[in-house]
Amino acid sequence: MKITFPYMGSPYMYEKLFSLLGHEVITPPRPSQRTINYGVKYSPEFACFPLKIILGTYLEALELGADTIVTSGGNGPCRAGYYGEAQKKILQNMGYDVEFIIFDEPKRDWKSFLENVKKIKGNNSWRRVIKTVKTVYDMAKSMDKVEKIVETKRAYECNKGEFTKVWREITEEYRKIESSEDVKRVEKKAIERLNSIKICEVPEEEKIKIGIVGEIYVVMEPSINANIEEVLNSYGAEVERSHYISEWIDFNLIPLPSYKEKEHEILKKAEKYIEIIIGGHAKQSVGAIIDFMERGFDGVIHLKPFGCLPELVSQSVIDKIMREYDYPILSLSVDEQMAIANVLTRIEAFLDVIKLKKHRKRIAR
Amino acid sequence: MEKIYIGVDVGSVSIKVVAIDENNEVLFNSYVRNVGQPIDTVKDELAKLHNELPDKEIGGVGVTGSGRQLLGYVLGADVIKNEITAHATATLQFHPDVSTIFEIGGQDSKLIIINDGTIADFAMNTVCAAGTGSFLDHQAQRLGIKIEEFGEIALTAKRDVRIAGRCTVFAESDMISKQQYGFSKAEILKGLSKALVRNYMNNLVRGRKLKPVFVFQGGVAANIAIKKAFEEEVGHEVIVPKYYDIMGAIGIAMLAKDEMKRTGNSTKFKGFEVSEEKFETTSFICKACPNECEIIQIKANGKVIAMTGDRCGRWSNSVI
Repeated sequence: MKITFPYMGSPYMYEKLFSLLGHEVITPPRPSQRTINYGVKYSPEFACFPLKIILGTYLEALELGADTIVTSGGNGPCRAGYYGEAQKKILQNMGYDVEFIIFDEPKRDWKSFLENVKKIKGNNSWRRVIKTVKTVYDMAKSMDKVEKIVETKRAYECNKGEFTKVWREITEEYRKIESSEDVKRVEKKAIERLNSIKICEVPEEEKIKIGIVGEIYVVMEPSINANIEEVLNSYGAEVERSHYISEWIDFNLIPLPSYKEKEHEILKKAEKYIEIIIGGHAKQSVGAIIDFMERGFDGVIHLKPFGCLPELVSQSVIDKIMREYDYPILSLSVDEQMAIANVLTRIEAFLDVIKLKKHRKRIAR
Repeated sequence: MEKIYIGVDVGSVSIKVVAIDENNEVLFNSYVRNVGQPIDTVKDELAKLHNELPDKEIGGVGVTGSGRQLLGYVLGADVIKNEITAHATATLQFHPDVSTIFEIGGQDSKLIIINDGTIADFAMNTVCAAGTGSFLDHQAQRLGIKIEEFGEIALTAKRDVRIAGRCTVFAESDMISKQQYGFSKAEILKGLSKALVRNYMNNLVRGRKLKPVFVFQGGVAANIAIKKAFEEEVGHEVIVPKYYDIMGAIGIAMLAKDEMKRTGNSTKFKGFEVSEEKFETTSFICKACPNECEIIQIKANGKVIAMTGDRCGRWSNSVI
């Protein structure tokens, strides 16, 4: 079994999980123009962007020799739930013989979830599986914790590009871990390294914090969202996303109520605008906007794959929120047609609006 | 020696160069078509500026528009900023009480909402260029009229004809079929003006409550039929400022002036000799990763001065 998986954010967690269980792993390459070309060429035109990119990723991994694809299913009435099936069909029509292992929410269908787990488990003892899962979970938690530091402090780096360079090296260190103890060691060293980078702080009242919300794939994958976090950081703004992989695991895969509190809280905040889960991350996006606003963030950037229905719904709610709270929110469509010049102009102007707003508030005080 | 501040707006269709004095008086302005050689064009315009104002000291230079990064680098600009901020800055200078700015240029349209003298909100056209100058230009050409006469002719129409304005392709095919049914050129042009404004309202305004004072600028503001269509839509007078087509350049010149005053620095402007330098642009495909970015390389007198187009920074960071 040569396993591959979708590339979203950091791929090292999946890579680690399967390799620690003794599988041969084909880590797909980071999405590039080639991935996009493949995905767009072989997907239905009106499918949304994440389906296309993930299909492109699969094709690249298959070229590298993968024969099994492990992926997650979807939630609610959003097309993402059918992606695995649709992509399987496309790949079969193209003549590939590939096995799909699709993980849906365990509570929906315990039996098939367990069957999938057994396929991945192989000959490993349950003890070993549990230990491995724990290690990988610790790694995800730790990487997210460290990345949050990067997203904050990179806004103030004196030498442009230093944080990104160090962060890349840190992720390579994480890639080598074998146990939870390794995770702790790598994390400690990572934080020390980040703290030693020279930063040129600005006065507290001039700091800008931006939240990023939207559909999980386009929010998490920098290679297709025009590297928005780095761009915002380079303009001197701190960034936080509405999605981190470890938080996704907490909510979707860990069957303990205490791990779901954060997400439930976010969903509750959206209740006033979207009553039920309408699929994708529409409700989370709206909840996250309110959350960022309450936590004193200066503005929110909303990313949606072009043609994504759930995020189109949240966008129409956004208009209302903007007016109700006089809160700056910028909605950006993401797909293969996204033009960088246009996006940069919007982001720059958006930050100008925020700066002027803050300035005016300061004067009024 | 009296100081002047230069503003350059490198748009996708036109290039504007202005010089203002300490009191924001416009001493020089030029508006030329961007024929795809922005460096040469700006060079020529700067030479003209220098000719007209030979004894002035350059206090600062600002560059805006979609070509701002490159031109800013070539000129040695003190301020490189987006056109939304630049436009709002100039409008506030000439109409301090403005609340709503409609701006339609060659390739994009913008809405800027002003509150208490600062930008409160803005919107830009996203997936469609049906409401922009280039499209109007193209249609005027197709109908065999000069773009300058577009507005006047449209206003002579006696009847209304509805044109589908969602997208340039549909708008054009709808126009052609309406023409074939026998509607006059004037009626078609009037219908097109209304369609453009309707499209603008649906795509950019999106239900926002617009307040007067309304200002309409950008190259398209020369079109009196579109001004009228806007007035009918908002039910209020819409002002077209005196310098409607060079507001971005004026705004960026003002921002450069403010920046120099604030920092007290002297300008980084490379001087009018820049107009003697020979620029050459080449490109190649980087094969370092599957992104295969097209890297654009700019040379001045044979020396590489700027590289752009890479997603990873491998090339663009190598020259700074």
